[in-house]
Amino acid sequence: MAREAKKKQSTKLIALSTTNKAYEFRKPLEKKIKYQGKEVEIKLHEDPKGFSYIVWKNKKYMLDVIEKKQNRYTIMVNGVWHTFTVETPVSLKRKRYLEQQADASSAVSIEAPMPGKIIDIMVEEGAEVKEGEPIIILEAMKMQNEITSHITGLVKTVAVKKNETVMKDDVLIEIQRG
Amino acid sequence: MKIKSLLIANRGEIAIRIIKTARKMGIRSYVIKTAKEPNAWYLEEADEIIDFSEDYDESIPEFLDIERIIKGAKKRKVDAIHPGYGFLAENPDFARRCEEENIIFVGPSHDAIYRMGHKTIAKELAREHGVPLLGGSPGAVRDAEEARKIANEIGYPVILKAAAGGGGRGMRVVSKEKDIERMFTLATNEASKAFNNPDVFLERFVREPRHIEFQILADKHGNVIHLGERECSVQRKHQKLLEESPSPALSSALRKKMGEAAVNIAKAVNYYSAGTVEFLLDSDNSFSFMEMNTRIQVEHPVTEMVTGIDLIEQMIRIAEGEKLAYTQKDIKLNGWAIEWRINAEDVQSGFSPSLGTIEKISWPEDEHVRVDTGVRDGSVITPYFDSMIAKLIVHAETREKALQQSSMAIRKFWIKGTKTTLAFCRAVLQNTNFRKGNFNTSFLSKELKIHYHAEPDEALLAAFFATYDYAREIQENEEKPLHTENGKIAPWVLKKRLR
Repeated sequence: MAREAKKKQSTKLIALSTTNKAYEFRKPLEKKIKYQGKEVEIKLHEDPKGFSYIVWKNKKYMLDVIEKKQNRYTIMVNGVWHTFTVETPVSLKRKRYLEQQADASSAVSIEAPMPGKIIDIMVEEGAEVKEGEPIIILEAMKMQNEITSHITGLVKTVAVKKNETVMKDDVLIEIQRG
Repeated sequence: MKIKSLLIANRGEIAIRIIKTARKMGIRSYVIKTAKEPNAWYLEEADEIIDFSEDYDESIPEFLDIERIIKGAKKRKVDAIHPGYGFLAENPDFARRCEEENIIFVGPSHDAIYRMGHKTIAKELAREHGVPLLGGSPGAVRDAEEARKIANEIGYPVILKAAAGGGGRGMRVVSKEKDIERMFTLATNEASKAFNNPDVFLERFVREPRHIEFQILADKHGNVIHLGERECSVQRKHQKLLEESPSPALSSALRKKMGEAAVNIAKAVNYYSAGTVEFLLDSDNSFSFMEMNTRIQVEHPVTEMVTGIDLIEQMIRIAEGEKLAYTQKDIKLNGWAIEWRINAEDVQSGFSPSLGTIEKISWPEDEHVRVDTGVRDGSVITPYFDSMIAKLIVHAETREKALQQSSMAIRKFWIKGTKTTLAFCRAVLQNTNFRKGNFNTSFLSKELKIHYHAEPDEALLAAFFATYDYAREIQENEEKPLHTENGKIAPWVLKKRLR
């Protein structure tokens, strides 16, 4: 009985999007959504081929879990993906607090937008870069792509070497805002 | 000579597409098996497999290995080779080797491929035959200094293009003099890498043109006709993302004029087989010859849908020496067709490649819908080949109806396991100017700022599904014992409980 009570307390969960939008669900396991002031029941289906979908306002929405790492989820709905961290009310509070503490002036990293090979590095450590300035040439799928800096500042570290192969999201260069 | 057996020196959807026509014509099909894709679907569709998967030569990709392909074809006494698109399709040496070995090459002569493949020669031919061209360098540009000189003469912006190129590689637009040296180096490097030829030429850059191409059919007896145009202006970095036929920009008078120019280009090189002549169309309806693609195009289905003509069949008949069964007057464009390219790319991260396994794929069976694909449930997307996995072709009576049918088909086109450009297709369909037919090659950079479209409630449904899955996992963990059998605490279970 005690365990049952505890479970009820902790059922409220929040999905926090990458743009910091919070979606609160009181009873996710009961498949109910509060929508425009009303509680709407959600039905999850699986078609004969094994696709998962939700029927919402008489339309089918195909769902796929693209990525799941601990509380971090990337969910695809009709071909568009959305990333969330799933938080409890307590963990959300803690997360918001920690974010406030983070130093706003820390270095910004330029990451590889796609997997590929480093063809050229146009900056050195300590060099000044302007927003929009090309800093690296990355070859991917036989195309040479210019990677530009999205901030103005000083190059703190060059994390890659010429001819090195990088994966998507690998840090290429770190720039100190300035 | 009747072709009884055909080696398809290609893979994926185009291999399957060619097999379908071969089967219809009673031709035995052969394909090449590689170690990179030993379980690909096209292998099962073909009648025979030539196995290249063992003793793989790392120095040359299988579909580029001319001598090995020729040897494989000769050993099995194959009558003809169809190169598909990409790989060796526009390699004059390959066509020449086929001719030398008495294998019918299902495409044009090696001479036509060579002359049209060499952009500077092709431009010269166009000039001689009175086809309009853009101003620029007469041949390849020697160095950055020469590029600067010519650019200053004709005025910026200019475009640098690989002489041996195509498909957007080795191409750079230069808007200011200060960038020309850097862009020249980039274009030359890319051209040398992609085409093994660093030559680039320079021409005036039309800022916001439409990309219009004409489908040509020509036989070995001098008959040349065109099958109307394809509108290919929606591109990203010179890569086409969707194509339609006809184009909303062409009046029948302009179609006639451009079609005649396209036929003249083909005649200039004694062209035979199917081919495509590309033009830039400026906002004042003036047009300039860009290049001729001497092969079947990815986007050929839209022409097939509106003309009712099987282009692969025509290529085979022409290769057999048959005369064209159609004259220009027989060609009628019936309705409107749109092809949506479905690439395994993440449009929300700058169209970066999305590798992985297609767990499931399904699309609506509908009279308006044709799907050309090389993947099915369980297919693996490898980094070795291009990212296109399927083409969704929609055909209806009018453009408006074709767009409406496209929206429905895209909504019902489900792929699980990888990110695709379907999200991009949705965004295009939402755009008012696209719906009006009012767009050009700057559509992606200027008009369509966000390259994907989600309905307002979709984020909510995704958020719900994330919390639901998480809650379910916690519940399952609660039911699991915290202590494992040997008395130790299971760290994962503990972590989930502490959160």
